[in-house]
Amino acid sequence: MASSSSTEHTVKDNAGDGAQNPETKEEDKKDDSMFECNICLDTARDAVVSMCGHLFCWPCLHQWLETRPNRQVCPVCKAAISKEKVVPLYGRGSSKQEDPREKVPPRPAGQRTEQEPGNSFSGFGFGDNTFHMSFGIGAFPFGFFTSTFNIGDQRPHAAPQGTQQHMEEQFLSKIFLWLAIVFLTWLLMA
Amino acid sequence: MANIAAQRIKREFKEVIKSEEVAKCAIKLELLNDSYTELKGEIAGPPDTPYEGGNFVLEIRVPETYPFNPPKVRFITKIWHPNISSVTGAICLDILKDQWAAAMTLRTVLLSLQALLSAAEPDDPQDAVVARQYKENLEMFKLTAKHWTNVYAGGPFVNSDCDDKIKRLIDMGIEEHQARVALSSYNWVLERATEQLFS
Repeated sequence: MASSSSTEHTVKDNAGDGAQNPETKEEDKKDDSMFECNICLDTARDAVVSMCGHLFCWPCLHQWLETRPNRQVCPVCKAAISKEKVVPLYGRGSSKQEDPREKVPPRPAGQRTEQEPGNSFSGFGFGDNTFHMSFGIGAFPFGFFTSTFNIGDQRPHAAPQGTQQHMEEQFLSKIFLWLAIVFLTWLLMA
Repeated sequence: MANIAAQRIKREFKEVIKSEEVAKCAIKLELLNDSYTELKGEIAGPPDTPYEGGNFVLEIRVPETYPFNPPKVRFITKIWHPNISSVTGAICLDILKDQWAAAMTLRTVLLSLQALLSAAEPDDPQDAVVARQYKENLEMFKLTAKHWTNVYAGGPFVNSDCDDKIKRLIDMGIEEHQARVALSSYNWVLERATEQLFS
């Protein structure tokens, strides 16, 4: 009895091993298909990724975009894409030989930004027209005197020098400055 | 470039064979030549439609520029559907024209066609006669589509009334399919179909 049960065990174990092997192989295949080009269904060569995240061979994607110049969409999700806005994937084992017979232009280079330096504070912004001072007179009794300082506030930029608008703005600001001075002196006198 | 087309069809063919839709007998794909340019597709009529129980055979031609251009597909099995020509089997489906995308496969095309059978678009018709019937007399359309499915696609619903009317036209010397088309186009009114056939 005991011996027969033990043989059963070994048989089962063997069967289990046999079943495991193909499974692991299939898993390998699945891993491979993760990196298959969505157009040729082969492992992506000169891989690029669209902004919507889909992987292609650069030659495949290039030909797709050439085929329909007026309809530049992702072959998978139909999001708008363009040749310039793809990210190349540089794997470690990628070969750098390029076949001169290839008519496809090289894929766009990766875009990298330098690490930001520690001190990124760019001052108060006096230099770039972001400092404004305004002075207002309220007609309502409680709002006699209103003044605001806007530091770093985003406002429409001043009109370029020499234009009609620039002149008018200069003129207006002078009038208001004088008005403010007159008003202040009147306040002091009273 | 023919190379990439053949390569891809080879891969897709394997994918379809392994897919669960084939296991459920919903779609089928067969190679007709060694160069992977001509295939035969088959889709099952979706349940709860007049096409239920029928098997529809498709002719698939793969262009050299595949997958950058869509495969050319038409119905070989005669079918009564607003977006499929009852004469030629030509299909009006956007993904087989301008909405094609290179990541689509023969499997997705077959599934899309199956979806087209369950959701007709009478406002963008391929067969104007069928589309008009669909919009004006939906019950008549369903009856006709069921009858066509029975006769041409092996569907289970026999309509003896239709068969009788066709028989009467055959007795007058009209060819069977011609008689069926005439009757289908005129809402199975025998007099109007006869009038049209003999005018």
